Amino acid sequence: MKKVLVLVSLFFFLFVQSSQAEQYFSVSEIKLNSQPTFSQILIRVPEGTGYVAGELSNPPRIVLNLFPLKINLAHQQMSVSDKFVQEIHLLKESENVVKVIVELNISNYNFGISFQNQAKVIVIDIRPPEKDIITALLKVEEVDAAENPLYFDPWQNAPQRKERGIYRIVIDAGHGGKDPGAIGPSGLREKDITLAIAKKLSELLKQNSQFEVVLTRSSDEFISLDRRAEIANQARGELFISIHANAGWDMRDRGVETFYNSQYAYGEGAKDVAIRENAAFGANDLPFSVQNIIWDLIQNQYRQESKELAQIVQEKLAKITGAPDRGVKSAPFYVLRGASMPAVLVEVGFISNPLEEKKLKETEYQKIITTGIHKGIVSHVNSFNKRLNTSRE
Amino acid sequence: MRKKILVFFGLLVVSFIAGIIFAPFIQEGSYPLKEWVDKAIHPPGISRMVILYFSTPEEEVLTPVERKITLPEGTNSQIKAILQELIKGPQDTSYEPTLPAETKIRAAYVRESTIYVDFFSPLTEKHPGGTSAELISIYSVVNTLLENFPAYSQVQILIDGKPQQTLAGHIDIRGPFAKNSEIVKRPK
Repeated sequence: MKKVLVLVSLFFFLFVQSSQAEQYFSVSEIKLNSQPTFSQILIRVPEGTGYVAGELSNPPRIVLNLFPLKINLAHQQMSVSDKFVQEIHLLKESENVVKVIVELNISNYNFGISFQNQAKVIVIDIRPPEKDIITALLKVEEVDAAENPLYFDPWQNAPQRKERGIYRIVIDAGHGGKDPGAIGPSGLREKDITLAIAKKLSELLKQNSQFEVVLTRSSDEFISLDRRAEIANQARGELFISIHANAGWDMRDRGVETFYNSQYAYGEGAKDVAIRENAAFGANDLPFSVQNIIWDLIQNQYRQESKELAQIVQEKLAKITGAPDRGVKSAPFYVLRGASMPAVLVEVGFISNPLEEKKLKETEYQKIITTGIHKGIVSHVNSFNKRLNTSRE
Repeated sequence: MRKKILVFFGLLVVSFIAGIIFAPFIQEGSYPLKEWVDKAIHPPGISRMVILYFSTPEEEVLTPVERKITLPEGTNSQIKAILQELIKGPQDTSYEPTLPAETKIRAAYVRESTIYVDFFSPLTEKHPGGTSAELISIYSVVNTLLENFPAYSQVQILIDGKPQQTLAGHIDIRGPFAKNSEIVKRPK
């Protein structure tokens, strides 16, 4: 059942300040999207700006430190008074840090922060509390279904989701160009295998009109790990599948395994330090740990779904190939860390094992691997959509 | 009785003189002067049992292996000495090495709760690649050091003095790592 909601975009320019110098951040970079079921605060920031968020009570408020960012006035204010948000304050925290305080009308709420539009917009979503994460997730999808865009960019007409459910899949062929990846005993290069499988998988997925495919590389070229995640995020992919071939320290190592990103590899402790209210970071000495926490927070939202995807892909792949099942594991992968969508890395076999290397070279075996991964993706998408529909009835 | 004592002393004197005559030949053969001076400046250190983590074939696990080595004085030198042993690889053929044989340590030092190990670039250049091999390399270094230096809680890997994105294109090594006990398999 589709509720037809008229798209109401209420933008309050209550304190539009013409900034004297263009490089200064001001309240004019903040816009609000007030809805009956949620409030969305959009903060336009220069590329490369990071944030650290925290919550405070009495009165309930969400605090964000944005860095590196300069502000010319010590204090700017924006009155909102919608269902969720009372006021927004901008403070000069230190030379390169701007503090955003969102004062809330309700003390019981859920909030989420994400980057949109190639990390040039920070979006804060404030919603009434949900019983659990799954319900909250489903709620998000429901809003989508009602053609009420979850993310609305007032500065640019961003592409919007056409349908609910998962459909845009990013396939990442590992290595490439000057980086051959692992090399087998007879000289087979990982980069060639990953590309061959990525292309086959892309073709197979495209046969189903439900899917759109974006490849991070479609030829033998070098693409940095940062760029790969960026391509995925820019394409607004809904699943990220990275294809790799494995290598071990022993020629006997063999089998297939699927990874998803591990949580807080750098420790919970670092997070506490980072969100300590008075922590101020200069642009030059922005602690490395803070940047990582930001990415971890983003990827953590999708951790559960990444794990589920990894499990089903691994199950189908192990079954169809008959290769030893090394299972689903988590590790801090550079490429998965930057992707703001559920992400997995599939190790399709050991190129360092002479027998598996020989198999990996064969087009027929590549097709078998492709079919396995494809089955996993389809099965995941179907069960995800099924859960959405069941909750609707 | 008196005769016996005289013979005893006589032998003592003879062996003493023989010792003086032959000593330079024996000494020079086994202890050249330079080495002897070196040893006086750098004491031979203490012999200690250390734990090294090596990989187990067909599984993505590390197994702790004990080895008696001579440790120099000072934490930094000890870290280097233990890593050298890890680079040498296992003596037992049922285990596999975890680092390229060409791996060379540039520096090792500690700061607060972190151990910093700085390798020369052959560690990445000669690395076989592959997620499994990479995970094994990272955690064999991390677990070995944290096991032998329990006063520290994390290890930061550097290459040529700088933090790197990855060793071989997969695992993010920009930050320090804590001990990973999930990857460890105790020998039965």
